[in-house]
Amino acid sequence: MAYTEEELKKELETKEYEYGFYTDIESDTFPSGLSKDIVRKISEKKGEPEWMTQWRLKAFESWSEMEEPEWANVNYVKPDLQAISYYSAPRTKPKYESLDEVDPELLKTFEKLGISIDEQKKLSGVAVDIVMDSVSVATTFKKTLAEKGIIFCSISEAIKEHPELVKKYIGSVIPPKDNFYAGLNSAVFTDGSFCYIPKGVRCPMELSTYFRINQAGTGQFERTLVIADEGSYVSYLEGCTAPSRDENQLHAAVVELIALDDAEIKYSTVQNWFPGNKEGKGGVFNFVTKRGICHDRSKISWTQVETGSAVTWKYPSCILKGDNSVGEFYSIAVTNNFQQADTGTKMIHLGQNTKSTIISKGISAGKSQNSYRGLVQVGPRAKNARNFSQCDSLLMGNECGAHTFPYIEAKNNSAQIEHEATTSKIGEDQIFYCNQRGIDTEKAIALIVNGFSKEVLNKLPMEFAVEAQKLLEISLEGSVG
Amino acid sequence: MLTIENLHAEVEGKAILKGIDLDVKAGEVHAIMGPNGSGKSTLSSLIAGNEEYQLTKGKMLLRGKDLIELDAEERAHEGIFLSFQYPVEIPGVSVTNFIKTAINANRKAKGLEDMPASELLKKIREKAKLLDIDSKFLSRSLNEGFSGGEKKRNEIFQMAMLEPSLSILDETDSGLDIDALKIVANGVNKLKNKDNATIVITHYQRLLDYIVPDFVHVLFDGRIVKSGTKELAHELEAKGYDWIKELASHGV
Amino acid sequence: MEFKEKLISSHLAFEEDLNLDDSVHETRASALKVFEEKGFPSKREEAWKYTSIEALIQKDYALFPKSEASINVNDVKKYFLYDTDTYKVIFIDGIYSPFLSNTTHDGLDVCLMSAALTKPKYRELINTYFNKIAPEDDSLTALNTSYAKEGAYIYIPKNIVAEKPIEIIHFSSGNENALWLQPRNLIVVDQNAQVQIIERHQSLKEHPVVTNCVTEIYVHQDAFLDYYKLQNDLPSASLIDSTYIVQEKKSHASVHTFSLGGKLTRNNLRFFHKGEHIMSTLKGVTILHGKQHVDHATLVHHAQPNCESHQDYKGIFAERSEGVFNGQILVDKIAQKTNAFQQNNNILIDDQATVNTKPQLEIFADDVKCSHGCTIGQLDEEALFYLRSRGIPKKEAKALMTYAFANNVLASVQLPSLKKRINGQIAKKLGVNLGFDL
Repeated sequence: MAYTEEELKKELETKEYEYGFYTDIESDTFPSGLSKDIVRKISEKKGEPEWMTQWRLKAFESWSEMEEPEWANVNYVKPDLQAISYYSAPRTKPKYESLDEVDPELLKTFEKLGISIDEQKKLSGVAVDIVMDSVSVATTFKKTLAEKGIIFCSISEAIKEHPELVKKYIGSVIPPKDNFYAGLNSAVFTDGSFCYIPKGVRCPMELSTYFRINQAGTGQFERTLVIADEGSYVSYLEGCTAPSRDENQLHAAVVELIALDDAEIKYSTVQNWFPGNKEGKGGVFNFVTKRGICHDRSKISWTQVETGSAVTWKYPSCILKGDNSVGEFYSIAVTNNFQQADTGTKMIHLGQNTKSTIISKGISAGKSQNSYRGLVQVGPRAKNARNFSQCDSLLMGNECGAHTFPYIEAKNNSAQIEHEATTSKIGEDQIFYCNQRGIDTEKAIALIVNGFSKEVLNKLPMEFAVEAQKLLEISLEGSVG
Repeated sequence: MLTIENLHAEVEGKAILKGIDLDVKAGEVHAIMGPNGSGKSTLSSLIAGNEEYQLTKGKMLLRGKDLIELDAEERAHEGIFLSFQYPVEIPGVSVTNFIKTAINANRKAKGLEDMPASELLKKIREKAKLLDIDSKFLSRSLNEGFSGGEKKRNEIFQMAMLEPSLSILDETDSGLDIDALKIVANGVNKLKNKDNATIVITHYQRLLDYIVPDFVHVLFDGRIVKSGTKELAHELEAKGYDWIKELASHGV
Repeated sequence: MEFKEKLISSHLAFEEDLNLDDSVHETRASALKVFEEKGFPSKREEAWKYTSIEALIQKDYALFPKSEASINVNDVKKYFLYDTDTYKVIFIDGIYSPFLSNTTHDGLDVCLMSAALTKPKYRELINTYFNKIAPEDDSLTALNTSYAKEGAYIYIPKNIVAEKPIEIIHFSSGNENALWLQPRNLIVVDQNAQVQIIERHQSLKEHPVVTNCVTEIYVHQDAFLDYYKLQNDLPSASLIDSTYIVQEKKSHASVHTFSLGGKLTRNNLRFFHKGEHIMSTLKGVTILHGKQHVDHATLVHHAQPNCESHQDYKGIFAERSEGVFNGQILVDKIAQKTNAFQQNNNILIDDQATVNTKPQLEIFADDVKCSHGCTIGQLDEEALFYLRSRGIPKKEAKALMTYAFANNVLASVQLPSLKKRINGQIAKKLGVNLGFDL
């Protein structure tokens, strides 16, 4: 059967959330609401030192004076921040020696996701730091890493064990005053990951965290801090899926990357949180602030595959402060049904001979809206800055939208900036060609979408690329008859 | 193998095919010739199941099975292969990845497991050699930036990989220089056996020097106006299509 | 905010000798309310992110010239397309100059907005066209509307081809110390009619002048509009130019904007499609030096299927000049088979020059071909060296290459004498004598 607009429309609506299930784990939850007391209590509960408590309180103070931003090309009912419980942690003992001690319910969840820890361990030698509703419950491969001097732990642990590093770098790239959600996160973050790679060390494995949102009505405020010391290298993977819920869940994470001289950080994300049902009800609000700073000759590369969330507001950015530093952003954003995504990057060229590359692929289906928003800024002292940007949009069906908002600001005459954008659709001739080779329409679309996204998929670490490819397929599954 | 009876078809309300009868048996090669606009490509698209063309009347059977009820991919699963006159570009999808997807889709339809990677690789190497295809070519995006010759060779390569029972070569010779033509024809000939059949659609007789047909049919204005053996192709070449027009106007 | 108050309080005086009983008065009054409410745009507004008029509105401008200025033809002849016979609608300090003008009512109307707004025979046309496409919520356009009185009124009836190009020129004499002008033009090109128009704002003496000009253009079925904006004013002059164009089916409209002079120039150029098979072309060359600032804000709103638009803007920025390009393509859900293309290429000559560009695509239809491309760079060093090695001095070589860079845009200029004129101006702007006719 050939692929028609009507069928496409109908079938797209039937796509349901693949990972919609709920794990029943006993939780220890704070009463909802946010105040100075709650901030203090979070800090106290986590046994944080006084400097951290003060840092949070200061963040809370400045946040209290901020307003929720409205400039993004998204529409939603703002979450009631006072109705959210700011702390939820599995009530069971928070530390495990081995996987045997982990709640079997939790392991079952991972099995359903097809990313069981056992499999992960066997497959790729990935050290998995699982963040289940804010508190880290299992860490593997820690020993191997420790031998190299690599610190990979929860941020709570780092605050206690490595205060000098945390103190120096937390908020140094994204100050609490940066924006509304970063401010909120700074005040109330419950946990997240911390990673430090010492001078000259090449991290021997991909570091990975699977984030989950699993508690009805709990906000999730992750805080990630990655520091790559001089001449070091690390590849960090972050992937997420979430159980299906009726209420909107807020996720306001902050990720800070610091690449010191000659260091390289590769940060990859696959995001598949609950996007809401086909009527646009429910789904995660994903308001994330991610930013990295590059010192001399260092490189930060962001790769993201965004298929989930009801509303996404996310701009992983690079501040190219050091001379000869490099920033990269590779993104695939898929929206379906009523999803809205406003995502892109900022490349701030400050140092000389800095280079940045932006490749963004947006795929919109159903009634969704997909926007690329980016800024390339070349400062007056950034001699010989180079940027190449390419933003391609693929539209499926006639009720979605694809938008491109690139901001390009050049204040140096040696800057070379190139920006290209295209919008296209899947051709009926392409579908027929695949059909004639025996490939059904659904598979054909997956194939074409994968081809469209290839430049970005290629940037993902192997085991992640496979998962991402699968995810793209799932996201557009049942899209035609 | 393929039986077509009194086939009528139209595109956007305009009648293109006005009663085609064709009987192709296993082991045979049929050539369909005719001037531009006579309906050659419509016929091939119709057999392959392109829904841009509406079948208004007639029958199409493959080994006794009604094709009309089948979607394009189901017809492919039944063993129909169309070498496109204008192969479609799919950016970012490599030739290898595409062929793998196609082969496994066809296997799945037959209830078979995916072809093991090693077996697939072996087969790809073997068929690539047959068609003088460079391995670099296999990693390029499907048809994107391919020359006319490369596109056609790629079509025959896919045919070799999928091993169809009925192949339709739609103007496979257009855009090919003589060396490429020989390679393509040689490939087609090697794939030929007593169990499969081939329909060659062409405007010129040249290709038929290399792929020798058992039967030649002349299509004009939506009808087969003359059928014969390979000599008919030579006659056409010598006399031109005006001769056919005259034949048609006399109601032959 | 003093000047804003002045604009509001002077409105009574402005309307004193105007008929308050007709609908135009209503339009003016409600427009003034919009301006009163919104005030001047600030950098906080997304559309004015890169251009500030804050400094401009600090001055106290005269709104009505005290005396009628007379100017010598010989002083201004150079601003006319002298080797082409043209219709002319010429204003000095906002007041129509019958002496310099060459209007007509013979087969087509090339005359005055003041006549169109007041004479009964134009009543129906004014009711149909006046202030119908200018957006009501744009504060500067509303300000212009509230003071709408004079400007060019052009009507090309069905099947008529205007045989001569029409020049609309607004001079400011410099008799006033500081002057604020608000011309309002209305152009209607009826079915299958054709017209070529050249618009220019020119001050004759260095003195602060701000022109807040609004032009509404209707291009009916099968009609052709070919419009040129020449912006090469003195460094004391600023221009906020808003042009709104509605196109009916199968019409062609093209606007070329040449921005070579002036202090601050903002060009709002918006196209709205009301039928199928429309073709819109927007082209511009901007060459700036000193502290000049030019902001092109374009919008092509594809609201019907099967239409096409092409945007091509080239910018060359020297010294401390600033260029802004804010181009928007909007494709509605029903506008299938739209082809919309946008190009913006910039060259930064000097260290202190700035380019801010924001090419936007907003697409709600799936079967479309839309693209934009944007570059910021320098002249190709290798090509420059090549030219120099052939004996061409560096300055000339640069000019030649700069010319080549802008060439695409010039190629589509339909009036040979205008093309020659712009070539000359570009050469002059680049400070070289090319020694040959470009």
